Amino acid sequence: MFLNIKDLSVDLGQFHLKNVNLSLEKNDYLVLIGPTGSGKSVLLETIAGFFSPYKGKIFLEGKDITNLKPEKRGISIVYQDYVLFPNMNVYENIAYGLKKKLDDKELIESKILNLAKLLKIDHLLDRNPETLSGGEKQRTAIARSLIVEPNILLMDEPFSALDINTQAFLTELIKNVMKEYQTTCIHVSHNFNDVWSLAEQVAVLNDGIILQQGRVTDVFSKPSHNFVADFVGVHNIFEGKVIKESKGISDVQINNDLVLHSSDTYSGKDMPVMVAIRPENIVFSNKPFISSIRNQLKGLITDVMHIGPTVWIEVDIKGNAFKGIITPSSSDLLGIKKGKEIYLSFKSVNVKIIDGNDSFKSLMQ
Amino acid sequence: MIIMRSKLEIIFISISFIFTAFLFVIIGSIFIIPSPDGFLQSIFSEEMVTALKLTLSTSILAAFFVMIIAIPTAYSFSRYSFPLKNILKSILDLPIAFPEIVLGIALLMIFGNRFLGPFLNNLGIDIIFTTTGIIIAQFFVALPYAVRILYSTFNYVNPRYEFVSRSLGYGEFETFRKITIPLAKGGIFASSVVTLARCIGTFAAVLLVGGGTYLKTETLSIAIYYNLSLGNIDAAITASILLVIISFIAIFLLEKYAHENIEGIG
Repeated sequence: MFLNIKDLSVDLGQFHLKNVNLSLEKNDYLVLIGPTGSGKSVLLETIAGFFSPYKGKIFLEGKDITNLKPEKRGISIVYQDYVLFPNMNVYENIAYGLKKKLDDKELIESKILNLAKLLKIDHLLDRNPETLSGGEKQRTAIARSLIVEPNILLMDEPFSALDINTQAFLTELIKNVMKEYQTTCIHVSHNFNDVWSLAEQVAVLNDGIILQQGRVTDVFSKPSHNFVADFVGVHNIFEGKVIKESKGISDVQINNDLVLHSSDTYSGKDMPVMVAIRPENIVFSNKPFISSIRNQLKGLITDVMHIGPTVWIEVDIKGNAFKGIITPSSSDLLGIKKGKEIYLSFKSVNVKIIDGNDSFKSLMQ
Repeated sequence: MIIMRSKLEIIFISISFIFTAFLFVIIGSIFIIPSPDGFLQSIFSEEMVTALKLTLSTSILAAFFVMIIAIPTAYSFSRYSFPLKNILKSILDLPIAFPEIVLGIALLMIFGNRFLGPFLNNLGIDIIFTTTGIIIAQFFVALPYAVRILYSTFNYVNPRYEFVSRSLGYGEFETFRKITIPLAKGGIFASSVVTLARCIGTFAAVLLVGGGTYLKTETLSIAIYYNLSLGNIDAAITASILLVIISFIAIFLLEKYAHENIEGIG
């Protein structure tokens, strides 16, 4: 395990972390999500070494770094508000950390030029940070942190102060840069777009506790905690590929050749996509019925959960777990119980096809 | 373009204008009253030259020592949590609240024939009625002001600048030197100027600890008091003019760099 955080507890008065456990493999990209005030930034700053935990350990490549000074950890950080040194120009900002590691001025210059080109800020190197746009400032901040080739790059809501277009542009850019630099990254965000577009791993933090960590599809489709389920809002997410497209309907083949029909059009045939269906859009019935609904599937109820005034039903269809939500009276009417066969129906318009560039927000609406 | 102003706006702006103008006239009157001959005679007199030299040399030294102590003190108040921090801050603020003469008496007590005085005398160090005494009095009078300004300055410097610097491999002191100090330079300069002005203008504490001996420990402010007591108005006003000029330069620089400080930290 590249980064291993065990039972980390931090008390800063207003903010605290309780028994945080988190692990990352080398070159993983983890997006840490959670509501405001959940302790996301405190966790990042504790990993960076700015706060001391009163309990727990942080291991980096097996080495205990819990009490190691921040400057010895090789963990750099990018903040939402950029924090560019105002007394230095863009070049000097980027060069700041590199100068500590290298003496060779030519090498420093060539490394800065390479990264600046990659981040499309090579024309801004002489500029004062104050004169840059938000997106330019953030690219400079990322360059400054990335140029030192850190063990881990921490990013604290790096895109949240930017407009939507700039966010989309930066997301693409970051993807490419991360590939090029092969950096392990922990990215704090409250935006599900970041999870979908960038993350290999996602962790959900609430009130100082990591509730769940895992692959994006696992966390979103199999939330292990009520809060996670409520927070992520979307449960039925499947990997698949578009196998056919005609008359405004895309056929998406998911696990074990199960085909779902979606009214979302997707031009990249045979390219991997994700499909998502909100639980409340699934209609349950004991028999199939004739209607305009394009998706009607038979499955086996594997779990029934009574959560507040709702009943959550998990149904297995060819190894794919679908989750739906109904009222207790509907549950009684249908005789919902574990092991029962049931029909699931959902409109093609409610089957959302997503790729890395799509907005996850649409699923939340 | 015609700007419509509310009544409140007009009243408040008028008050600020009237009383600033009044203060300006009061200060300006010092420059009108003395006779040119008396002024020239006084300014080049041995007493005035000695007082000016003594005031500037002791004040610069005292201000230097104040800054050496005030920077780490204010930084620790701004950045670190430690026991008794609030009590320490209150104690440091005390001299701002009570009259300077009280501090003078306290210094006289501690460096006089009781407490530290005899011990320092045995080491060959004389404080009372010496130039050293003047510097010590100026130091303690000015220190709280410097700490206050620097405390606000360091509070304005976002600690995340330091976090980023440290995450990029720089140690605590290197970060302080390369990031914190440059970002706080405007405030440090402003604080230095106020400290220097405060040291130059110190009167009661310097009189009590330094003794105000003619041509020996007589600073400009003491010279005003002595000459006024002896009815030597020209000399008193000359010393006042010198103090006003020095203060004006200090405040002018302070205003100029205070602006830079705020913009720099932004």
